Amino acid sequence: MKKYIVKRLLHLIPILLGITLLSFGLMRLTNDDAVDVFYDKNGAVSEEVKAARRAELGLDKPFLVQYGSWLGGIVTGDMGKSYISGRPVLESIMTKLPATVELMLVSILMTLVFALPLGIISAVMKGSAVDRVIRFLSFVGNSMPNFFVALLLIYFLAVKLHLLPVMGSSADWRSVLMPAMTLAVSMGAKYTRQIRAVVLEELGKDYVAGARSRGVSEAVILVKSVLKSSLVTLVTLLALSVGSLLGGAAIVETIFMWDGVGKLAVEAILSRDYPLIQTYVVWMAFIFVMVNLLADILYHFLDPRVRLGRGDG
Amino acid sequence: MMNSKKAAVLAALALGGAVLLAGCGGGEKQQASKEKVFTYGTTAYSASNENAGTNPHNSYVGWTTIRYGIGETLFRFKDNLELEPWLAKDYQQIDDNTVKINLKDNITFSNGKKVTGEAVKACLEALIKNHDRAPGDLKIESITAEGQSVTIKSKEKTPALLNYLSDPYGCIIDVEAGEKDRIVVGTGPYVAVSVTDNEIVLKKNDKYWGAVKPKLDKIVVKGILDGDTLTMALQNGEIDAAQGLPYASHELFNDTAKFTKSQANTSRVFEIDFNFKTPELQDVKVRKAISMAIDKEGFTKVLLKGNGAPAVGPYPDSMTFGGKAVTASAYDLEGAKALLKEAGYQDTDGDGYVDKNGKNLELRYLSYPSRQELPLLAESAQASLKKIGVKLNVNVTDNYKSFRKNGEYDMFANAFVTAPTGDPEYYLSTHYLTGASYNYGFYSNPTMDALGRELHNAFGAEARAKLAIRMEQLALDDCAYIYASHLRMSLIMKKGIKGLTAHPSDYYEITSELDKE
Repeated sequence: MKKYIVKRLLHLIPILLGITLLSFGLMRLTNDDAVDVFYDKNGAVSEEVKAARRAELGLDKPFLVQYGSWLGGIVTGDMGKSYISGRPVLESIMTKLPATVELMLVSILMTLVFALPLGIISAVMKGSAVDRVIRFLSFVGNSMPNFFVALLLIYFLAVKLHLLPVMGSSADWRSVLMPAMTLAVSMGAKYTRQIRAVVLEELGKDYVAGARSRGVSEAVILVKSVLKSSLVTLVTLLALSVGSLLGGAAIVETIFMWDGVGKLAVEAILSRDYPLIQTYVVWMAFIFVMVNLLADILYHFLDPRVRLGRGDG
Repeated sequence: MMNSKKAAVLAALALGGAVLLAGCGGGEKQQASKEKVFTYGTTAYSASNENAGTNPHNSYVGWTTIRYGIGETLFRFKDNLELEPWLAKDYQQIDDNTVKINLKDNITFSNGKKVTGEAVKACLEALIKNHDRAPGDLKIESITAEGQSVTIKSKEKTPALLNYLSDPYGCIIDVEAGEKDRIVVGTGPYVAVSVTDNEIVLKKNDKYWGAVKPKLDKIVVKGILDGDTLTMALQNGEIDAAQGLPYASHELFNDTAKFTKSQANTSRVFEIDFNFKTPELQDVKVRKAISMAIDKEGFTKVLLKGNGAPAVGPYPDSMTFGGKAVTASAYDLEGAKALLKEAGYQDTDGDGYVDKNGKNLELRYLSYPSRQELPLLAESAQASLKKIGVKLNVNVTDNYKSFRKNGEYDMFANAFVTAPTGDPEYYLSTHYLTGASYNYGFYSNPTMDALGRELHNAFGAEARAKLAIRMEQLALDDCAYIYASHLRMSLIMKKGIKGLTAHPSDYYEITSELDKE
C-alpha cells in the first residue's frame, strides 16, 4: 500500500505542473492585467505609475520567466504575496480555511442526516406514494441553483421569521446553519437518489434473496448487508463533496458573507490577484488528489475485493 | 419487521430535524448591554476594492480611513466640493511653488499625541515614499516644519496641491506609532480595534479633538458585496444602515416610519465617448444628432428609478464649474432627425434605419456590466437611437478592454469620478487633451490643448473654474462626449439613526455627528 500511496503522490507533480501552467496562461490571455484592474476600478493614474507597479510585481517580464519565478518560489515554499493585500497568500488561504472546513462539516452532516434515511425509505418503499414524493423533492432540490436556495432561505428564515441571521459571524454559531442548509439541499438531493439507487441494486442481489429465504429479518439484511455494501458509493460521493467544499462554495460564501476560501478565490479572480489564484489552484489540485487517495484507501477497507493499484497505469 | 424498520428511519429523520430545529429555535442571543453599537453594511469595503485596512499610504485604503472616521485630512470638501480647512487652520501661498499650511493648535492623534508640524511632515514624507499615486499628484520637492506649520515646496507649479492633499491618501496619521495588525493611529472620532478583509470594528476616540464628540461606543463596518444580502440584512435588522443597495431594492425601504434615506449627487458621471476614428462620427452633425436623441430624463427617472441626476457636462450641479455652468443639446428627436438629414442620412429603403450611399448608419456601442447603470444606459441609448433611425449594436461585456484595445467600438460608455479632489484638472487633462490616457474617442482640438496648458498653470479656484467651463463647453460644442447622468449616492438607514449623511465627494460617511437613538 505504501508503494501505491507514494506513486499516487508522485502523480501530483505532473498534475500540478500542468494545471498551474494552464491557469497561469489562461489568466494572461485576457487583455487586462492585475495592474489595469487595480487602477481602472478607482480612477485615472498615469501610465508611469502603472509601469512602475508592473515592474514591481514582475509583470513586465516574459510569460515563461514569470511562471518560472513563481514555480521557483513554490518549490522553496514561498507561494508569493497577494497583489492586493501584500500579505503572504498561503497565510491568507490558511486564515480562511477554518470557516470553510466548518461549513463543509456542517453541510455534510446535514446532508447525511437527510439523505441517508430518505434514500433508504425511498428504496425500501419503491413505487409507493412516499417514494414518489421523495423522488420529486430530490428532483426539485437538484434543480434549484444554490444562489436561489440561499435567497429563498434568507427570505423565509431571516427576513420573514427572524429565526437565523443573514450574515456569517464567528460570534453567532447559528450563522453557519443557513449556508450549510443551502449546500445540503442540492447535495442531499443528489445523495438521496444515489443512495436509493445503490440500496435498490443491493436489494435485488442474490445474497439478499438467499438471506430472505433463510429467514433473516429485513432489518438485519438492510443494516448488516445492504448498508455496508452501499458504503463504497457513499464514500465516493463524500470524497467528491469534501473535495469541492474544501475549495470553498464561492456563491454561498459570498451571499452569506461567510469568510471562507471560496469567497477569497472569487475576489482574487475579480482582482486578477495572480499569486492568490495560483495558490488556490494548487490547493484545489492537492485536495482532490488527497481526498481521492483517501477514498481509494477506504474502499479497500470497506470492500476487501477492491485491490489498490490494480490496473493503475 | 417492515414497521420497525420504518420507525427506525423515521427516528433518524426526527433526529436530523431536531438538530436543525435546535439551531433555529435558539433565538437571538442579545447581550444585555448599554453600549451604543452601530452596524454598517457597505458594498464599498473589501479586499477586492483594494481598500481593506486603515493605512492611507496603501493604494486606496485611505478611502476606508476617511470614510469610517479614523483619519482626517488637512482640508476637506464642502457640499459644493470647495475646500475648507479641517486639521489646518489656514494657509498662505508663498509663491507659485511654495505653500505654508498652519495647523490648528488643539488637535491630537487618538493616542493623545499632539499633531504638530513635525508630525504632519513625517506623515507626508511617508506618504510620498510609500504611496503609488501621491508622488505624481503632489510633486513635492521638500517639506519643512516649524511649530504648528508645515511648508511644502513643489518641484513644479501645482495649483491643485491642497485639493490633492484632501484626497483620502492625505489623511494625517501618526507614522511614529506605525501600523500594527493593519491599524494606524489617526485623528478621527473613531479608532480601529480590529481589521479584516471584510470587517472593521471601531471604538469611540475618547481623546477626539473636535467640538462634536463621538457618541457611539462601537461601530462595526461590514463589507457586503452581494446586493441582495445587503438588502435582506437591513430588512432583517442585522445592520443599522446600508451603502450601495441595488436600485431595485430601494422601494423596499420607502416606509418612512421605519427607514430614512440620505442622498447626494456625486461627481461619478456616466458618459459616452464618440470614437473620432469612425468615419461616420467625424461629422459633427451626426454626433450632435445622436447626443440629442439620448433621453437623459427618461434614463434617470425610469431606468435608474430616480437614483441619478441628468447630466449636462462632466461635473454635478453642486460644483461651481458643473451643471448649468455649461450647456448641451437638449433631447429633441425631431431636431436630431433633421440634423441626420442635413448630414445626408435618410431611410431610403424603408427598413427603419437611415442610410447614406447604400449603407445604414450602424454603430458599435461598447460598455461593461460591473456598474449596474451602464447596461441600462446601453438599453436606453439603443431604444432612443432607433427612434431616429440609427442602429446601435450593443456590446456590454466584462472583457471590454480587449475590444477597446482593438478599437472595436464607435461609442464607449463608462463611469468615471470626475472630481475626486474637487478640482477640474484631473478629469479634463485625462479626457479632453490630445493623446490623454482616458481619451478613448481620440478627440483632438488644438484650442482645447492650449486651454489645458493654461489650466495647468492657473492659480485660484475662480480662475481655474472659468477655464474648466470653457474647456467643458468646447468639448460639448464639439460633441465629443455625451454625459448621461450623475450617480446619486444613497445611504439608507433605520429610523433613529442620526448624522449619517451622503456627501457628494463620497468620502465622509461615519463622522462624530453619527448617533443612534
